[in-house]
Amino acid sequence: MPQLEQIEFFISQLFWLGVFFVILFVVLTYITLPKIRAFLNKRDEFVQSHISKQDELIKKAEELIENYELKLNEAKNQASQIIAEAKESALKESEKLIKATEDKIQQEIKNTEERISKEKNLAIAELNDQLKDSASTFLSKITSFDKGNIKI
Amino acid sequence: MAKGESPLKQFEIKPLMDLELFGYDISFTNSSLWMTITTVFIIIFFTVPFLKSRKTNSVEDLYPSRMQVAAEMGFSFINNLIVDTAGKEGRKYFPLVFSLFMFILFGNLFGMIPYSFTFTSHIIVTFGLALGVFLFVTILGFVKHGLKFFSFFVIPGLPIYMLPLLIPIEVISYLSRPISLAVRLFANMLAGHTLLKVFAGFVSALGFFGILPLVFIVALTGLEILIAFLQAYVFAILTCLYINDALHLH
Repeated sequence: MPQLEQIEFFISQLFWLGVFFVILFVVLTYITLPKIRAFLNKRDEFVQSHISKQDELIKKAEELIENYELKLNEAKNQASQIIAEAKESALKESEKLIKATEDKIQQEIKNTEERISKEKNLAIAELNDQLKDSASTFLSKITSFDKGNIKI
Repeated sequence: MAKGESPLKQFEIKPLMDLELFGYDISFTNSSLWMTITTVFIIIFFTVPFLKSRKTNSVEDLYPSRMQVAAEMGFSFINNLIVDTAGKEGRKYFPLVFSLFMFILFGNLFGMIPYSFTFTSHIIVTFGLALGVFLFVTILGFVKHGLKFFSFFVIPGLPIYMLPLLIPIEVISYLSRPISLAVRLFANMLAGHTLLKVFAGFVSALGFFGILPLVFIVALTGLEILIAFLQAYVFAILTCLYINDALHLH
């Protein structure tokens, strides 16, 4: 087995193993690994900062939603209030209008009735006069016949 | 593979460049070559995707490219591993575990390339790594706890008359950690690669029926890639556990 036979190369192998392992160790420790670590740290920081930023944005969005809902509710309440008020005022207005119209109509009816009764009285009085006139002429006609005005 | 060649020949070390330091032979061998390739590849694979100067601060900068995703996967894989086993304090030792895991993983994986060399199939290499981990963890334990670290060998809630029996067992099990760590990785690599070579020898020997061992080799190569990953993972997670032991004792 060359591993145990070539003893003359033991020192050479150990020497070069030491040389190359130390070179590798030193270069990796002081150059390579810090570079890799810095790169990974940079990325981790970036990801972390984005995660915290995202949390902030989510919080903000939730706040906005809350605000929006609050305002929406307020607006709804206001709207229903306005509607109720408008309904009430409209009802009052229409009632007033109806009452006024009814009053007017009542007035008109009264007036008309008065006029009618006046005219009726007038007509009755006229009729009475006429009757009186015709009765007197009739009477005078009858009475003048006796007096000889009538020539047969 | 030529006929009659030993399936163990693939583990042979060939010096590519003869070097000497303080009288010791430190020749640059094929093993060293593949260590170089592994090291350079890992550094390029994990550094280059993050080199682009990104001056703008826009969102597009944060989208990872494909290579960045691949590097990031390895990064978070080891990160999770160490946090899960050794807790938050263990993160300080993340670069060590990361280097160990990647070095072993890519060493194993490059070893799967035909005609390449698997340096993790050499006991001296895995033992070097395991001994390094063992020494590091032991020193870490002493630095964190001082002499209280020895209480690690005393299992709490045990009757006193059992201690003379159990403390030696605990010490032995502690000292055998680097051996088990080294042998596990070495043996897995050795066995897998030897098995592949043995069956590859059957392909040419059986003529037409060589197709059967060929199919087997294809399946075995898949299994070997899994083992390459698994052994690196085991080495890394055991290192994490040892670090956890050193940090928290019991």
